Amino acid sequence: MANKDIEISVAKKNDVSIINIKGDVTATTGEAIEGAYQKVTTEGVKKILLFFDKDGYINSGGIAILIGVASESVKNKQQIRITGLSSHFQKIFHMVGLTKYTQIFPSEELALRGF
Amino acid sequence: MDPDNKIELHIPSVMGYEKIAMETAASMAKRMGFTEDRIEDLKTAVAEACLNAIEHGNKMDTSTKVGITLTAEESRLQVVVKDEGKGVGEIGSPRIESKIEGKDKARGWGIFLIKSLMDEVKFEPSPEGGNVVKMVIYLEK
Repeated sequence: MANKDIEISVAKKNDVSIINIKGDVTATTGEAIEGAYQKVTTEGVKKILLFFDKDGYINSGGIAILIGVASESVKNKQQIRITGLSSHFQKIFHMVGLTKYTQIFPSEELALRGF
Repeated sequence: MDPDNKIELHIPSVMGYEKIAMETAASMAKRMGFTEDRIEDLKTAVAEACLNAIEHGNKMDTSTKVGITLTAEESRLQVVVKDEGKGVGEIGSPRIESKIEGKDKARGWGIFLIKSLMDEVKFEPSPEGGNVVKMVIYLEK
């Protein structure tokens, strides 16, 4: 379903699927993120890079969506890396423990290196 | 108290309107000289308090409002968020492990974030009904 608060696109680099997330990450926009994750999972992708918008708004509803994705990735034996987050949301991801299940990188280049 | 140091706003109990309260608090904190890092902490805490009020307090009843009062004092900013509902009791600290394993719902981070990011937080019932969250952030931490 189209949601004006978020824009999602998926790109591939070798065996990594990059999910670009532009806009708000909330319970309302979560369906679009989950949909993109399900699509790449159906294609058998094991390495996923979530590329966030540095100026995007993320709230607890959005964090819950990302925890759901991380939970699925554990079951599906996928690796998730993250880039594009502002320093504030890097701190928030550490605080809630998302970094136990995902890895945060300062740039797309560094995230893809050795992935 | 200098009335110029106080801002009150009322937002509808609709998801997304918390961003208006968040941006208003950020503008006030910027005027007061808060650092960018602390303004980001404040924005998240205000948004989460409003979301709790919209979703759990007012149950997204569009006939209700969430009241936000921002009071700038010499060395601190106080934010009071008030709903019209019966409220949510104190929630224990969420554990991501339980959520990843599917033992707990993935949601339930709002109060944890508010408590983690603000310097003082108090949840209490309002004498006029509804619930009040009082949060304080200091200029120097």
